[in-house]
Amino acid sequence: MAEFECRLKQYRQLKGLSQEQLAAKVGVRRETIIRLEKAQYNPSLKLAIDISRAVDAPIEDIFIFE
Amino acid sequence: MKRKTKLWVGSGIFCLLALLISSWYSVTFNGSRLVVPMDFDTYAFQPRDPPMIFSVSIACIYLLGLFFTLFLKGLRSRQSVARSNTTRSLNPRLGFLGLLGFLGFAGFWTYSVNGTIFPFAFFLFFGFFGFYYEGKMSGTFMDERFRENAVQASLKASNITFTILFIALVLLCQGRLMGNPEYTLIGFVITLSLALALRIFLSEYLLYRYDHEELPAEGEE
Repeated sequence: MAEFECRLKQYRQLKGLSQEQLAAKVGVRRETIIRLEKAQYNPSLKLAIDISRAVDAPIEDIFIFE
Repeated sequence: MKRKTKLWVGSGIFCLLALLISSWYSVTFNGSRLVVPMDFDTYAFQPRDPPMIFSVSIACIYLLGLFFTLFLKGLRSRQSVARSNTTRSLNPRLGFLGLLGFLGFAGFWTYSVNGTIFPFAFFLFFGFFGFYYEGKMSGTFMDERFRENAVQASLKASNITFTILFIALVLLCQGRLMGNPEYTLIGFVITLSLALALRIFLSEYLLYRYDHEELPAEGEE
């Protein structure tokens, strides 16, 4: 798996969403959001797009691959 | 306990009692006919046979009914899992069924008494210990990470199982185990049963571990 940095936490907080709310919005479990924020999970393209729409930020700004 | 479950348990107890009473009747008054092995090619009906015939018939009907009910329930459970996208509900205490694996040791006794080796296959029941971890993940929403973990766990469990089987096959196929081909066959049955049990258990255990490892505290951040 490629190393990547995830800025989901800051975009989520900017949007005023809790982990639980974001998880419900994109159809995953809260644990998945936690792991995404810790860059411990590499999401599918669909999930990445869903998250970017949910937090109103471009994918490349949320997930930064080295 | 649900009404249907009570009915099945009650019917099972009735069938068991009927079998015990009719066996006692047959042993006491009918020369153990239909209890001890007999040649059915030369079977001729006798007036004292009906109790045993009746109890065996209802036991067979009961077992067939139980099998089909469990099969249908399993099918419905799978459909419900597919619809709701959550894992099936299971009581972790069902993991205790894994203790049935110890029945496999009965194989050593049956082999020494009459050369029967199929009870060694009961070692497979050790795999039921996996119900403990499956039960702990009951009703979990299956998102993409969960599904990835499930595939990863299943693959790893299969790899370990096939590696063990490969090594066992190579070792056992070297020749006779303790100079006896039957021991070699028994060794293979035991290895196969234990390896398959490990496959069933490991896939559930690894999935649970992948899903729960390094999970942060319950707080929001």
